[in-house]
Amino acid sequence: MATRSRRPGAKAALLPVLLTGALALAACSSGGSSTTSQSGGGTAAAKTLVIDTSFDLKTADPGRTYEPTGLIIGKAAYETLLTFEGSDVTKPVPALAESFELSDDGKELTLKLRQGATFADGSPVTADDVVFSLNRVRDMKGTPSFLLDGVEVAKTGADTITLTSKSANPALPYILPNPALGILNSKVAKEHGATTDAGDKAEQYLNSASAGSGPYTIESFNVSTQVVLKANAKYWGPDKPVYDKVVLRNVEAATQKLNISRGDSQVALNLSGDQVAGITGDLTVKKTASANVIFLLANQNPAVSKVTSNPKFAEAVRKGVDYAGLLELAGEGSVQAPGVIPSMLLGALPPEQAAKRDIEGAKAALKESGVADPTVKLEYPSELTVNGLSFQPLAERVQANLKEVGITVELAPAPITTALDNYRNGKEELGLWYWGPDYPDPSDYLSFLPGKLVGLRAGWKAGADKELEAAGEKAATTIGDEARKQAYVDVQTKLNASGPFVPLIQPSQNIVTAKSVTGLEFHPVWTVDVADLK
Amino acid sequence: MSPTSSNEDLKEGTARRKPPGRTGRRSPLVRFLARRVLTALLLAVGITLVTFVLTNMVPGDPVSANLGQRALGDPAIVAQWRAEHGLDKPLPQQYLLHLQGVLQGDLGTSQQSHRPVLDDLAESVPATLELAGAAILISLVAGVAFGVIAALRRDRLSDHVLRVISLIGISVPTFWLALTAFYVFFYRLQVTPGSGRIDPGMSPPPQVTGLYTVDSALAGQWDVFSSAVGHLITPALVLALYTIGLLTRFTRSAVLEVLGQDYVRAARAKGLPPRVILFRYVLRSALVPIITVAGLAFGSLLSGTVLVEAIFAWPGVGQYAYKSATTLDLPAVMGVGLVVGGVYLVINLIVDVLYGVIDPRVRLQ
Repeated sequence: MATRSRRPGAKAALLPVLLTGALALAACSSGGSSTTSQSGGGTAAAKTLVIDTSFDLKTADPGRTYEPTGLIIGKAAYETLLTFEGSDVTKPVPALAESFELSDDGKELTLKLRQGATFADGSPVTADDVVFSLNRVRDMKGTPSFLLDGVEVAKTGADTITLTSKSANPALPYILPNPALGILNSKVAKEHGATTDAGDKAEQYLNSASAGSGPYTIESFNVSTQVVLKANAKYWGPDKPVYDKVVLRNVEAATQKLNISRGDSQVALNLSGDQVAGITGDLTVKKTASANVIFLLANQNPAVSKVTSNPKFAEAVRKGVDYAGLLELAGEGSVQAPGVIPSMLLGALPPEQAAKRDIEGAKAALKESGVADPTVKLEYPSELTVNGLSFQPLAERVQANLKEVGITVELAPAPITTALDNYRNGKEELGLWYWGPDYPDPSDYLSFLPGKLVGLRAGWKAGADKELEAAGEKAATTIGDEARKQAYVDVQTKLNASGPFVPLIQPSQNIVTAKSVTGLEFHPVWTVDVADLK
Repeated sequence: MSPTSSNEDLKEGTARRKPPGRTGRRSPLVRFLARRVLTALLLAVGITLVTFVLTNMVPGDPVSANLGQRALGDPAIVAQWRAEHGLDKPLPQQYLLHLQGVLQGDLGTSQQSHRPVLDDLAESVPATLELAGAAILISLVAGVAFGVIAALRRDRLSDHVLRVISLIGISVPTFWLALTAFYVFFYRLQVTPGSGRIDPGMSPPPQVTGLYTVDSALAGQWDVFSSAVGHLITPALVLALYTIGLLTRFTRSAVLEVLGQDYVRAARAKGLPPRVILFRYVLRSALVPIITVAGLAFGSLLSGTVLVEAIFAWPGVGQYAYKSATTLDLPAVMGVGLVVGGVYLVINLIVDVLYGVIDPRVRLQ
């Protein structure tokens, strides 16, 4: 009886299973066919370029942009007065301005606007647009407002703009290429609520469309998933955009690797040294030291730590770290940071001045400090990665290095939002952090001096090192490339001798591209200029 | 309330329940529903409070998560940012403002996208619903079918095979499965398309429901439709595998239990066709535990989507929640909490109502 009833029942139940199977098969095959048509995305037919990156993005409003992904978009959609050629950030070159001149006292920068440049809607780029755009960035108090702190912008002729600073500001030509200072079509922007004060309401509009003169315009924008750029058909410049469409997708690094290997994307920006090591086939891997400097800070405030504020302690750490080991960990393309200023900037210390491991020297310094068997807490952001390099293994390596010297390091990782609080308030005993340049000029690194932004985070108050502070003030106002270079080398040499910072490494920035894509240059400010890609 | 009035209430209550009039069959169900909906609404308010308290208990300052290193050094910028996001007010007042906003359909403005949270959710929720919906459909069909087959062919080869499959489905972590499926089908075998909801070169269909498969079909864009289905199938199957395993096991044991009942034997003895026995007697009785498990499974689907969405770059609530949490975007986190809590409420409500419909005893409890 039982057997008789079982079989037909089973047949009836099998039906939905077969159906699901058939559906799945049908879907898979349709998926397959769409992939084949799309894998030619980088070539003739579609002219679509797909860039995979882990999004760090908040806005497409240039005046509020301060995140790596936002700067890529800003660079493509807007143009600035000055720019950099390729990856050379030691020499600003004209862009929307055809020439610029810094006065002898370094306080006045005069720029002459280029003729014939037009916005995406065809209207000409005027001096009024420039004045409005720069004033807007400075006065609406967005994140990049500080770039123009104390800079007055005025139209001093039909095509002339003069930027006046209160004190000598030789860094200004290096600041102007920042995509946050992109020039807006002021008429369009004003129609959509742009003002030159904190009441500005144009962001929503600028997140859906762009009002710039760049080679690309924004077609669609979503901060957590993807941004689509469209070629600006009316682009005025000599190098017309090559791709009709550029899609930036938010993709995990592990998936980025599979996507580009499979031909689903043409550029992957966030692969770590480990991940690019296994890449083969028709792909190009560009490994360049990034401009991010990872450093240790030893708090100088005795209320925070009796140990780290001891002048000899930082020296023991500086001599105790195994830099070669850290470089091995960071992978090919990374370099040791001899000072806080990264290698590609004017005024960077030469590699031979980099600290070397000297365990005996470290032990001697520790003995001189008079602190026996110190235990210190090392705080760092647990889930933060810089160029694909996680802070966790770095911290563990430092812990092991210092153990050999006789310093016990307790690791205290925290989520970045929590860790930032202690760091910002100068409460970390020992901290592991990084600094990426706000703009590629050494003056950005004066923040590390006593009483300044990063100095205070290390509990280093103004007046703590008068000689160093004087050297810093001199560097800030020195004019002329060669003289500035000397001044900043001097600042860093002093900083390394007596400061609370231990510069460690600059991890490698690995950019993987399909063979079909050429012209890629790594750029320390905007990572990659989409318009460079051919 | 005076004792007399409560007595009257009591009397009235008993009086209403007593006479089994003609409406007697329907009214318990209606009352049961009303009670359920009311509880759900109260719970919804509770959810707003819990999400608010939890998000504000997180150590860490949203200011440092949202402003750059330089802007943080300028007290004017920091103060302005706080005021702009209502963080300068005391917490109870912030909650009341939040609740007031929610009641007016305003979930605040996201600190990361600078758009209304509701707009962000309107984009990401349909993406997740499409994924989770496809997964629950697949798992209901496959799970129930597998369970029935396993029960009917108890201790035979097919039963053993299905039990092994369900065990694998339950025990393998979803994120591992997602990574493996992506690697094998996309990278190695090259049969499935890459990450995202459609091919990167394509434009999404005009929005009606927000489900790309439905919208593209409505618009007659068949190339988009096939791309959307192709992108959907692997992540949906990955998500479904766990629930398939769960449903297979529960269906199998439920069906086995019913098969052993006297009334089934009686039906067989009467010579009723096996198909009638299976669908009218066995499955109907087995449905209650199956629905319970399916409801619970939907919850686990929602948590599973966070990882699956990350691996397949699926622009859903999971990704939005992850990004909001890591950037301490409080309005967005509270919005996501409200939506996820709301979905759970609705699922529970549906499950409860289905109980009432299937099993009359439940309504009267």
